[in-house]
Amino acid sequence: MLQALVNGAGRLVQDLRRSILRPFAGQADQRRAVAARPARQFLPLKRVLLTDDVGRTLFEEYAAHQAGSRGEEETGWVLLGLREEEEALVLATLPAGASRDAGVGHVQFNSCGQVVGSRIVRQQDRRLAILGVVHTHPGSLRHPSEADFRGDSAWVEQLRGSEGIFAIGTADGNSPANGTAVAYQPRLHVQCLGPLRFSWYALGSGQRNYRALPVSYTLGPDLARPLHSVWALIEAHGDRLDRLCRQQTGVTFEVVPGKQGPALTVFVPLAEPGHGIRVLLEDKEMRCFLVRDGKPFAMDPCDDRIDRAVYLLLAELAAQVE
Amino acid sequence: MDFRPLNDTERRQLITALRGNAEQDRAILMDRRDTSFVGTADEVTDEEVIAAIRSVPCHY
Repeated sequence: MLQALVNGAGRLVQDLRRSILRPFAGQADQRRAVAARPARQFLPLKRVLLTDDVGRTLFEEYAAHQAGSRGEEETGWVLLGLREEEEALVLATLPAGASRDAGVGHVQFNSCGQVVGSRIVRQQDRRLAILGVVHTHPGSLRHPSEADFRGDSAWVEQLRGSEGIFAIGTADGNSPANGTAVAYQPRLHVQCLGPLRFSWYALGSGQRNYRALPVSYTLGPDLARPLHSVWALIEAHGDRLDRLCRQQTGVTFEVVPGKQGPALTVFVPLAEPGHGIRVLLEDKEMRCFLVRDGKPFAMDPCDDRIDRAVYLLLAELAAQVE
Repeated sequence: MDFRPLNDTERRQLITALRGNAEQDRAILMDRRDTSFVGTADEVTDEEVIAAIRSVPCHY
């Protein structure tokens, strides 16, 4: 009887232990499952996908560049988009800028404008990352040069998946026989429109050479295209706009119709909901407004440097608070 | 705590994050100080993007 009692007590203890430990064991399993779920892994790129608007930007701006006063120089764009496991989707182009350092044999982008441009584009989607670079060659070299490789092979280490996308633009193509202005792909990694050609490559960290990267189109925007019309303003105020973004939380930008053409507005929120300082940049003009519940009231900017103007206005508003 | 209504950008980001969480198990990040929404695990930091832009090499 005692034996039966001991056995019964033993089973009771075991049952009790299982019932107590089960939830914890379940949580441990759950933790293991979460821990075991791998972080996003990037495999070598198999293709790059461009939105149709990005494709238009590249061909249209390359054609405009060639027709312009600096058409003999190299030019280019930084590509922003989403890096997926084995492919990348390009959603925005940041131009080299008028303040680029360029000649017939090189181009160094104006990063100041591109930094501000990236901040503005990423207001819409914080997942956007730097994917790579497009640049042009004045001759018919349709492949990145050895000097390109030296810089790119070190640069790609900081990109997602330690791999970058590189395209070379050349103006040595032939229009198709039918003469229509429709882009065509003579090879999987090449896109042509009229005489213009972009050849696409990928380069990973530690790789000895670029490899041809198949390219395709999908419908979608170039999220940075509206900014291209105000890029001169972005470059002119770039350092000060960047400083303002780093120092003030919640600064937002918008491209709006101005008196002469597109203008850039910068909105710095105040503590009160719906209140803020709006600065409108257009051509060489800067106008400031205090916005209260959506209604703008013109203010004297006191300074033609945007960051100083904003801080002087903030100081004036602070002085009005009892 | 800041109880102001979300602006358009914040609302759009939160909806994207909630959709990513529901459909693809993507994590929603929370500020440990005040439990406010601070983005998703798939977001890329400004620092990462800006460092890459500033270091784009000269191309030839």
